[in-house]
Amino acid sequence: MAWSRKSAMFAALAIALYLLGLVLRNQQLVTVAVVLLSFLTYAAFRTTHADVASSGRRLEDAEADAGIQLQSIVAMRKLSSARVFEDGEIDVVLRIQNRSNLSKVLEVRDRVPEVMRIKKGANYVLMELGGRKETEISYTIEAPLRGFYTIGPVCVRVQDAFGLFHNEREIHLYDDFLVFPKMEDIKDALIKSRVPKIFTGAVNIRNPGEGTNFYNLREYIPGDPMKKVNWKAWARSGKMMVNEFERDAVSDIILIIDSRSVSETGPVSRNSLVYSTRAAASLAQYFLSRRDSVGLVTYGDEIVSIDRDTGKKQLYVILTKLAGAMAKGNTPLKVVTNRILPHINRGSPIIILSPLEDDPTIMDAVRDLRARNFDVTILSPSSLEFEFDARRLDRTGYEVLKTERDILISELRGLGANVMDWEPDMMLVTALAGARGF
Amino acid sequence: MADEIKTEGASDTSHLYESKVIRSSAPSRKKAAGRLKSSTEIPRDAIPEIHVPSWIESFFGGPIVATTKFLPANNTVSMLQMSSAVVLFALSLLTLAFTPVSGTAWFAIANLIGIPIIGGIIHILIMVVGAIGGFYGIFQRDQRALLVSYVAMLVVTLRFAGSKVEFGFSFLPEGEILQKILLIAYAVFLVMYFELTSGIIRFSMLDTSIRTGEVYVMGEGKIIRQYHQALAITPIVAALVALLTLLINLIVPGIVGIFDSVQAARLSESVELTSVYGVAMGTAFVFTIVAAAFAINLPLRIQQMQESRNN
Repeated sequence: MAWSRKSAMFAALAIALYLLGLVLRNQQLVTVAVVLLSFLTYAAFRTTHADVASSGRRLEDAEADAGIQLQSIVAMRKLSSARVFEDGEIDVVLRIQNRSNLSKVLEVRDRVPEVMRIKKGANYVLMELGGRKETEISYTIEAPLRGFYTIGPVCVRVQDAFGLFHNEREIHLYDDFLVFPKMEDIKDALIKSRVPKIFTGAVNIRNPGEGTNFYNLREYIPGDPMKKVNWKAWARSGKMMVNEFERDAVSDIILIIDSRSVSETGPVSRNSLVYSTRAAASLAQYFLSRRDSVGLVTYGDEIVSIDRDTGKKQLYVILTKLAGAMAKGNTPLKVVTNRILPHINRGSPIIILSPLEDDPTIMDAVRDLRARNFDVTILSPSSLEFEFDARRLDRTGYEVLKTERDILISELRGLGANVMDWEPDMMLVTALAGARGF
Repeated sequence: MADEIKTEGASDTSHLYESKVIRSSAPSRKKAAGRLKSSTEIPRDAIPEIHVPSWIESFFGGPIVATTKFLPANNTVSMLQMSSAVVLFALSLLTLAFTPVSGTAWFAIANLIGIPIIGGIIHILIMVVGAIGGFYGIFQRDQRALLVSYVAMLVVTLRFAGSKVEFGFSFLPEGEILQKILLIAYAVFLVMYFELTSGIIRFSMLDTSIRTGEVYVMGEGKIIRQYHQALAITPIVAALVALLTLLINLIVPGIVGIFDSVQAARLSESVELTSVYGVAMGTAFVFTIVAAAFAINLPLRIQQMQESRNN
């Protein structure tokens, strides 16, 4: 049984008046003190009487399928979904059962993660729950940020009518859910591999082969099928010409995400890592829908990679990894490229999502990639803008740093990488088109 | 562009722009920002707003009593306000009746300086402050005014009484039991005043939380009914316990009288037993029994009994 501030003050006042009454031989003060003490005692008596678990015995929480058993109060929770995208909503239904025959006035608070917003209903309920009755508390939470989250425990409190004493108990009922980074619909990423894989597919690559998109004209070679002959070109040039088509194939796409500590510079909801994860999710969805195989590498305090694969399952694997990406450590990009290069098909498109800060190896790493003929695209969410927008950076500092950043980007472009300085209000599609020079 | 950027001393980075500089990466922006900014001012949004209370606030408010803005009072709060006002009115009358100025510090000081009327004025003034502060606090739901009222209502009773129950008016009863019942009535009204006024604040807070959607209440009527029941029962129980305590000078001789009437007569005439020390002994007796009830975990046993009966 816990004392409230009010009961503590009442008790202190009662003792003080009692002692003063004895010193001043004042029955009036002593009487007030006695009435106060009686008031407190009776309230304490009643509180213990209506206790959830006042016996002092340790109640073992027995987990069952439906929820967690308590002596008399049982809680069960149901989430509408265990996986949502950012800004998505989850409906929570908490069922509270009173298995005792005694009616109880309960305060129930279902603990939700701090970043979540209660959109509808309330997770804090004051209720009178009759004996052998149950009730449902429904509320909706909005998940504004990606990550792994847990709802719970359920705090149940019983207190006397005057709010003097209370008993509290945490029902260890937890439900996990996952918030994936939100995705932007991409029509065309303008990224194609020059290196075909063995299997043909739906995506044309920039090599001649069996496909549907026109690629080139060339002179007829004996053995070419007659349906490929371009009669107009033959008439114009006087040489027998045939159409060549782009080869349809699948390609490997590698997404590299910078999740070092520096990538979280800026406000919680607007920083480089948030933008990078959203972009990676959108790109993964786009490429996988094109039947490309997509691999993911995140680097921060360690290098975590997901092998290239195709299909919807791969999308969820990537999304899960992105949801859990934490800004930690300071692994240089060069270490990452050294580690992954032997495992990537030469010429595959590589998309790097990084703020390009605090890493002296960026130039070397990109130079290495370009030297091996990889198609490198760098999308760089500018945390300078995030910081400047949040007024954490003054104008002079911003100008100087912006100039330095521009120089670095120019140098990277000089190496043949497609680099885009991604400003906060720019859509991903625009940033991608900008990176590819459109 | 380099000319436009003004930096100080070692933080001058103009050389970066004068000629071609080949670097492998951008410098640490955090470090650069630290060097280049003209001041080391902490960003405004990084500092949480902290209100440091003045010493007056510290005494009558701030950390002790918060000033809370409530939404307009609902029915429950209005009822509590009316009840509190009635209780305060009765309490003010009882205080006036029960606390003569004699024995107070201000009475002694006024006598010392030779103007006894000042003592009486101060005495009345304290009661008026207690009453007006209370009424203001009740209807404005101002916790500070209520705290001032509590303090005034208690300060006015601080007097050396010489173990006698004295009244401010001569027409009040002189019988011991009646006097003690009136005394208990006064004490109960005082405690109920504390409780009802704190109830006003509590239910105003709850109502505000409900209306702002922070808290949802199920079965509000039943919860309020329970509070009303407690308001009716608890003062009666407290009054009965206090009556037992105060009438110990009658109870003890009564019990002893079963065995020895002479000793009982002596006890009933005992000055100590009728004095405040007798009340102290009564308190010790009564609360020893209460403590024993808690020690044997009686509340839980009653609960278990009720549960098994219902099953």
